[in-house]
Amino acid sequence: MGGDRQGWLLPLRNLTAIVDVNRLGQRGPTELEWDMDAYRRRFEAFDWNAIVIDGHDLCAVDEALRQVRGIDRPTAILARTIKGKGLPQVENEANWHGKALPPDLAEKAVAELGGLRDIRVTSPRPELGTPAGATTAGGQVTLPTYDKGDKVATRKAFGDALLALGARTDVVVLDAEVSNSTHTDEFGKAYPDRFFEMFIAEQQMVAAAVGMQVRGYRPFAATFAAFFTRAHDFIRMAAISQADISLAGSHVGVEIGPDGPSQMGLEDMSMMRSVLGSTVLYPSDAVSCAALVGQMVDRDGVNYIRTTRGSYPVLYDSDESFPIGGSKQVRGSDNDDVALFGAGVTLHNCLAAADMLADAGIRARVIDLYSVKPIDGPAILEAARVTGGRVIVAEDHYAEGGLGEAVMAVCAEEGIRVTHLAVRTLPASGDPNELLKAAGIDALTIAETARSITGR
Amino acid sequence: MTALRRVTGDVKHAPAALSTLDVLWVLYDRILRVDPTRPDAPERDRFLLSKGHGPAAYYAVLATKGFFPADWLDDLAGPASRLGHHPDRTLVPGTEISSGSLGHGLGLSVGTALGLRAQGLTSPHVYVLVGDAELDEGSNHEAVAYAGATGLDNLTAIVIDNRSATHGWPGGIASRFAVNGWTTADVDGRDHDAIATGLRQRIPHRPHVVVARVEPKFEGA
Repeated sequence: MGGDRQGWLLPLRNLTAIVDVNRLGQRGPTELEWDMDAYRRRFEAFDWNAIVIDGHDLCAVDEALRQVRGIDRPTAILARTIKGKGLPQVENEANWHGKALPPDLAEKAVAELGGLRDIRVTSPRPELGTPAGATTAGGQVTLPTYDKGDKVATRKAFGDALLALGARTDVVVLDAEVSNSTHTDEFGKAYPDRFFEMFIAEQQMVAAAVGMQVRGYRPFAATFAAFFTRAHDFIRMAAISQADISLAGSHVGVEIGPDGPSQMGLEDMSMMRSVLGSTVLYPSDAVSCAALVGQMVDRDGVNYIRTTRGSYPVLYDSDESFPIGGSKQVRGSDNDDVALFGAGVTLHNCLAAADMLADAGIRARVIDLYSVKPIDGPAILEAARVTGGRVIVAEDHYAEGGLGEAVMAVCAEEGIRVTHLAVRTLPASGDPNELLKAAGIDALTIAETARSITGR
Repeated sequence: MTALRRVTGDVKHAPAALSTLDVLWVLYDRILRVDPTRPDAPERDRFLLSKGHGPAAYYAVLATKGFFPADWLDDLAGPASRLGHHPDRTLVPGTEISSGSLGHGLGLSVGTALGLRAQGLTSPHVYVLVGDAELDEGSNHEAVAYAGATGLDNLTAIVIDNRSATHGWPGGIASRFAVNGWTTADVDGRDHDAIATGLRQRIPHRPHVVVARVEPKFEGA
């Protein structure tokens, strides 16, 4: 790619930043204080147009704002200002940050500013345009289908579903330079004008998604689950702003194997569950993944889907529905001995464990908790009731804040004890099955745990 | 280098390993004051590999310089190997930081250089190697500004510019460091003498960056 700019990567000439350079932070002087030239050189080094002005000179402000119209690049207007301007006792002094003036100083301030007056300013009015949110949705979406038993990675199904959603012109996709791993590249090839390569800059990716949804777009931003953590503040603020965005984190847990702990999403469910009003989804197979992606697009708030690197068997028929807040009982009867809860790779391990337990005459109920938040409380409590409170949850995530604690929160209300299998030590780099075993979330460990709590 | 040929596996990041090999060799052969028999010697120079993807060249150089036996290379990323796809400071002798998440090394190197300065250790020098694509992470710019403002002259950054996945650098990579008070050198990333000369440049009270240009065509080699 290099220095050759492609069509979509043109400088944002419709963007102007105004920097209020008042020399003071909350506690004292800033690093650059009033070194206006240093600010100018920094913006210019990033290929911005930069204009330095006296921020208290209204004519200069006006002139600068007029100038930016004809520039082919973004502009930074660097306005040198004085904090507390207009009141000599406060002007350019530290320690007045976020403090109200005492009554006597307030009176003086009003007088210094010319006394009580009623001044109205008429600013330029925008032209009539199209309201945000009116982006035409367009085409019919047909979600992908898969054959039961075929091995398909959920990250691949996510990419397939996203490609299908591309029929809607309000869907945009943002990538942080891993589109060939998250499978958003398929959308990018089909809809290059609605695919945004943000390069290795996850904070900017999430921030841009929030900015784009203001215009009525339904953005999906995708990278490795581990690397969303550096954008947490932007995700948190998206919830405060009540933005509607969808995020997809791939390569979760120790299951990724050889790439080692630096690439493993092991905190993402905890991070995303704690966001106010968020939705957290964790499909185990391609069918449920596609169905959930199809629902995320129209769901309000911050939505997160967690996808797995490896390929596992398709578990469901393609016409099955997966309502958010629900779960699926994949195995079970009316008189089960033990309940096994899982999602993603651990659901497959729970199923393998159920087979081992069946050989030993132990009946296991296996539940797919594809909706981590909101979680299917009634199904969890029913499974606990049937099995006499013998409940195991296994997750490929650290023990804190993930699927296990979501199940425990439901069970705690009824005083039910949960046996929780999760990643509790620093994982190594190695074979996925070895790492799942080392973490104690493999089929054999789940089966042995079930035998020990059933006493058989 | 025979050591690199011993390395098996890590096919995915092979181009990344090849782009850093020359710079790493010059660093360990001519510049860094490090002792494989005492990898944690307090007076050692520090080398931080920020670009932890594709560490085959790094491992090969460390093995050649005696930090660990060369036969470790035969099992790179194997189940029992200490040499993972991303270096782990707890497993690989001579490795200062665990890496693999991009945009960390420059910030960590600022902390390392500040710590050495605060303790009055004037002899050790801190080197950090970053990739050009990695510089798109905003954290790097916080580190570049801070090192410039604090005049960290015990810090040298090396940027491997293989013009990989990035939106490009109008005015060049070095200019973004220069505006923050860094001294800069621009070298051919395959020319060992030029790399060494670039790395030896230093001016009091200013951090230094060496931009090592590597032709993308080498990437397929």
